[in-house]
Amino acid sequence: MSTMNASAISMPQHQGHDHHGHGPVLQYQPGLPLTRGKLIMWLFLSTEIMFFAALLGAYVVLRFGASVWPKPHHVHLSEPIGAFNTFVLICSSVTIVLALEMARANKTTAAKLWMVATLLLGSLFLGVKGYEYAAKFEHGIYPWSPRSRVFEKPDLYYGSAVRARLGEPAMIDRLKELDDTPESQLTPEVVSARRRLAKVRQMVTNPDQQPFDLAVVADQVMPLPVEHATAVSHDGTETPVGEHGGGHTSGLNDTFPWLKLPAVIPGGTMWASTYFLLTGFHAVHVMVGLIVFTILLFYKLGPKRAGMIENAGLYWHFVDLVWIFLFPLLYLF
Amino acid sequence: MSDHDAVEAHASEPHGPITRVGEMPEPGNHEHSAHGPGQHSHGGVGKYLLVFVALCFLTTMSFLTFTSYWPWRNEPHVGWAFMMAVSCTKAMLVVLFFMHVFWEANWKYVLTIPAAMMAIFLALMLVPDIGLRNRMVSQERALYMARPSDVRLMEQAGESQLLTNPTTH
Repeated sequence: MSTMNASAISMPQHQGHDHHGHGPVLQYQPGLPLTRGKLIMWLFLSTEIMFFAALLGAYVVLRFGASVWPKPHHVHLSEPIGAFNTFVLICSSVTIVLALEMARANKTTAAKLWMVATLLLGSLFLGVKGYEYAAKFEHGIYPWSPRSRVFEKPDLYYGSAVRARLGEPAMIDRLKELDDTPESQLTPEVVSARRRLAKVRQMVTNPDQQPFDLAVVADQVMPLPVEHATAVSHDGTETPVGEHGGGHTSGLNDTFPWLKLPAVIPGGTMWASTYFLLTGFHAVHVMVGLIVFTILLFYKLGPKRAGMIENAGLYWHFVDLVWIFLFPLLYLF
Repeated sequence: MSDHDAVEAHASEPHGPITRVGEMPEPGNHEHSAHGPGQHSHGGVGKYLLVFVALCFLTTMSFLTFTSYWPWRNEPHVGWAFMMAVSCTKAMLVVLFFMHVFWEANWKYVLTIPAAMMAIFLALMLVPDIGLRNRMVSQERALYMARPSDVRLMEQAGESQLLTNPTTH
């Protein structure tokens, strides 16, 4: 069970038949004072460290080398949710360590319960991540085009994308339906938004369009509040936090969820790429860890299985470690 | 091994080499005992909870830079250095205690010291990439990427009175 090196003792002598048909007597010396499984797990973790170091290095280079990077509230990033996720993963690290301790002390039921707790906390992490992703998708922030409705600046490409969206047959029908609804049936905010939407459509198709007009259009579609704006929470998706005013003012995309016009977030596309890459790969690693724990739950978690649990725990702690670095780099920087 | 086979035909079934376990070096894991590696007694649960409290405290510290209590809001580099220091401390705690490395034998230095050298080397090698990034942007990137002037344009558009202000609700 230990990693061993074999050394044969004086081979030539035993070529004779002294031992009645036995081979040479080999004496194994242990190479390292740890089990094979643990050694392999550490070697695997070092490869995973290299993997995440590459991704994190790419993020650092792109983020600090970019001339423009979006503010967290521009991309609907919530730091408190990230902090909560960090706390959840730290708790799950504690529970897996306790599961190991229980297993070593031959308290199999307790070990199984702690393992279930780890599984639940890991699933909670994934659930919160899914909620965060849903919030991004709702605002058109996807990892890639053509899904992604984010443009870096309000230029001609942005204008033509807005026109293309407004010119879609389904959109034309809905816009006509919206225009035909009498004012009495709509709330004042919707009436005001409808008026602004009509102005936006006019500005976007205007042949005498000024460069500034598209910026105004973009601001109407999805406003990018400045830090000291006293924005109020909207529809429950974001809540104001700290001094950053995490809530956001309502743009046309928020008032009319079916509108889905392209939006401008300077630096947003690069942000989306790195964010989804890093958190996506991390989430995949979390899922693999959860699968391992699910499989382990089918075993009797006594001292004989302590090695297996320890190795699974090593992997899980590594996943926690990566998140410990990801959280400040993605959310707080 | 054919002469062995010839002999073994007369003896009992052919054997492979006989193996004998040598002595494990000093801080060995006593894998064969029923209690598993007993490097630290069962009172280790208290240690883990202490580390957990420390981790929660450190997480709160790093979250502090986001709140209004952080005094160096105008110098982001201070915040970044602080956050990286906190992250490294948390990582050390997790690696040393949760991953049990504190109690492991000297092989941990074989693993960690070259890794640390690589990490420092990697960080140093990335510095020129960060510095030169904007000077060596491709044409396609330059066509689409945002610049500070675009950010100012968006801010001006937000403050303009061209259309009535967006409703806040």
